[in-house]
Amino acid sequence: MDVFGSFTLLLAFVCAVYAFVGGIAAIITRHPLLVKSTRQAGIATCVLIFIGTFSLEYLLFSDNFSQAYVVSHSNRDLSAFYKIAALWSGQEGSLLFWSFLLAVYVISVLIAYRHKNGELMPYVGVILAGVQIFFLTLNNFVESPFKTLANVSASGVLEPFVRMDGNGLNPLLQYPEMVIHPPNLYSGYTGFTIPFAFALAALLARYPGEKWIHLTRKWTMIAWCFQSIGILLGAHWAYAVLGWGGYWGWDPVENASLLPWLTGTAFLHSVMMQEKRGMMKVWNVWLVFSTFLLCILGTFLTRSGVVSSVHAFANSQIGPWFVSFMLLTLVVCFVAYVKNHDYLKSENQLDSMISRESSFLFNNLLFLVACIAVLSGTLFPVFTEWFTPSRISVGAPFFNKIMIPIGLAILFLTGVGPLLAWRKTSTDSLKRNFTWPLVAGALSAVLAYILDYRNAFSLVCLSLCGFVFWTIVMEFYRGAKVIAARSGMSMMMSAHELAMRNTRRYGGYVVHFGMVLIFIGLAGAAFNTDVQKTMNLGDSMKLGPYTLVLQSADTKPEKNYTAERMIVEVLKGNKQLMMLYPEKRAFQGRDQANGTMVAIYSTLREDVYVVFAGMDPDTNLPVIHAFLNPLVKCIWLGGVWVVMGTLLALMPNRRAALVIAGATQPAASPVAPALTPSVTLRESHD
Amino acid sequence: MTKRRSLFVLALVIAMGVLPLVAQQQQADRVKAIGGKFLCMCGCSQVLTQCNHVGCTMSAGMLKELGQWVNRGDSEATITQAFVQQFGTTVYAEPPKTGFSLIAWAMPVIYFVAGAALVLFVISRWRKRPQAAGVDAAAPVTAAGVKISQEAMERGRAQAARETED
Repeated sequence: MDVFGSFTLLLAFVCAVYAFVGGIAAIITRHPLLVKSTRQAGIATCVLIFIGTFSLEYLLFSDNFSQAYVVSHSNRDLSAFYKIAALWSGQEGSLLFWSFLLAVYVISVLIAYRHKNGELMPYVGVILAGVQIFFLTLNNFVESPFKTLANVSASGVLEPFVRMDGNGLNPLLQYPEMVIHPPNLYSGYTGFTIPFAFALAALLARYPGEKWIHLTRKWTMIAWCFQSIGILLGAHWAYAVLGWGGYWGWDPVENASLLPWLTGTAFLHSVMMQEKRGMMKVWNVWLVFSTFLLCILGTFLTRSGVVSSVHAFANSQIGPWFVSFMLLTLVVCFVAYVKNHDYLKSENQLDSMISRESSFLFNNLLFLVACIAVLSGTLFPVFTEWFTPSRISVGAPFFNKIMIPIGLAILFLTGVGPLLAWRKTSTDSLKRNFTWPLVAGALSAVLAYILDYRNAFSLVCLSLCGFVFWTIVMEFYRGAKVIAARSGMSMMMSAHELAMRNTRRYGGYVVHFGMVLIFIGLAGAAFNTDVQKTMNLGDSMKLGPYTLVLQSADTKPEKNYTAERMIVEVLKGNKQLMMLYPEKRAFQGRDQANGTMVAIYSTLREDVYVVFAGMDPDTNLPVIHAFLNPLVKCIWLGGVWVVMGTLLALMPNRRAALVIAGATQPAASPVAPALTPSVTLRESHD
Repeated sequence: MTKRRSLFVLALVIAMGVLPLVAQQQQADRVKAIGGKFLCMCGCSQVLTQCNHVGCTMSAGMLKELGQWVNRGDSEATITQAFVQQFGTTVYAEPPKTGFSLIAWAMPVIYFVAGAALVLFVISRWRKRPQAAGVDAAAPVTAAGVKISQEAMERGRAQAARETED
């Protein structure tokens, strides 16, 4: 099976090269058969990558310990669930997984648009094949996952050998979220290849209008959604597994995942400027290019060992390959831009400084500044090594100081944007729109103060959350009121109808609401407290309003590990709330490999987060480290709303009866009066 | 024993009991404050006082040393110097605001100022750009032949756009 897997990847590489070279020939000659055959080659590449990936999974599931990858990342007792995750737990497998996910996107695009956009698709096919060639080069010639173990015999001949068992999966990865976090994050990274391919193709082909944006908008949202889920799941994994009481440590690998998310978010906003007003075309194209390049950069940072991180893969020699690919991509983008920049000329002018357009410009500025600040902070240790004799670390305190003000400014604009009209906002409108949200913001600050959240940044953050929340409520209320008045439906049903009529707009507001919840959660971090105590059985510790009592300890043998558990009772006053079981796990297969399992009692107001931090070397008694983390749950709930909002935005609009300007309005249908809009609707692009 | 004297003794006893606790708390706070300025050297990139992940070989020892120095009454500068001597400049949790490291602090501010200037320049340029020909050629007229003022038309457009667009 290893030879078969290796062969399919090699064949995939050949097909990708054909799709690339043949595609260029097809663009030049415009020969229909050549166009068709290169598209088929693109599809064949993807199918072969699927087969190669399944071959590696088969080797993992069949415990084939003649394979170096299987030995390094699996063992006999590893559950099937984690044998799936072993695919992306190592350098070679995760690169193959990259190719796999990219192939899923590529085959979807090639099939979905096989009869559409005949002018553009050959270019798209060539660009996608180019990206696939790069990853298949790594899969085949640099970091092949199909390497057979061999020993040098006494006669000097290489002889294959089979190990009895493997080393097992890294204990940190043996957690359910680790099975879904990397696929989501990688789906985000790989997904941004599609808008990149369409943007570059449109530029190269000088494809008319904003059609490439309409074609790729959903792909961008899908990639963004996956990236968001991946980041949040990663944060939750760090919170629940690493046992340090936090969820975001500004680690280089965490930062690497945030960079394309920031530019991707900026693009999702600025793209509206191009759709509605024909503006910011150059900016949008470069945002897409940057997002893709940052995805590659993130992958490079994670794998090259250029920055140190607990999340990084083992150091390898693939760094120069990534740097070369990034430089080549940058050169291609730059040449394409220089040759065709006149095609990107903006059509419209700006009427007023106080307009939706301006808010988008500042929104984009802040996202970009955030991105560059995180990037330069992440790479600063490398720069210091180049220019000074010592290396300087850049840790969480630096990023917090830089990013909190930027984050608050972005939150402010999240509320301001929807209150401003396109083109120009009158003073009356400003007064009318801003009064109640500002009142809500002020009341939120007072409420936060009363509830004892007395920290300057947190108060500002919670106040802005109130402000943004009220703008969202107002947007729904105003629209729903019109529909309710015309249809007689309840406000709730009207709000639902409203959202379904313009899913993208109201889906966006739901995403904003999710972000408000996330910011509320982040504001709570200023009030985290913790206590660490060496405890005997029956001892207790105070943690805010809670009392933790160490009731007993036991050992729980499992198939792949043995857990040492502390049984901790949580009381509030005299009321028993629940039992928590923080544990340490000793995994088989890896020498002295330990993992931890945090126990959390979570409420909307706060988390009681208990870690069994090991045995005190002096007393040989268990050390319990307990944290009281306010508002953390809001972050995870916010993530759910972000996903729901994105899914809503991805849905097609429910068509209201369009009243075309100048046309005779038909008599209102007695069956569906609610579907007659109050104003002339512009047809959406869906 | 007079009442005043007994009150004095009582206060002394309370103070003797409470003062060490206060001093202990102050020292713990100081350890937390100073420890927050360094990274754990186990390679986890976490702040020293936050690094407690299972299997960490460094944080306990570093915190113990820090506690000893704080108890001894060493100044923050002395403690910083000791840590830097032991682990090098990588022990700083954030770049020092001196020398080459100052660039790390200055860069985000420069990005923002330069970016904001660029945005303002772009906005002012776009505002000066003439409107497309034909847009203002004639005042808008309704289906009933009634002329609408440009201002009213703009207001209507803005309202329609706000209520119907993203």
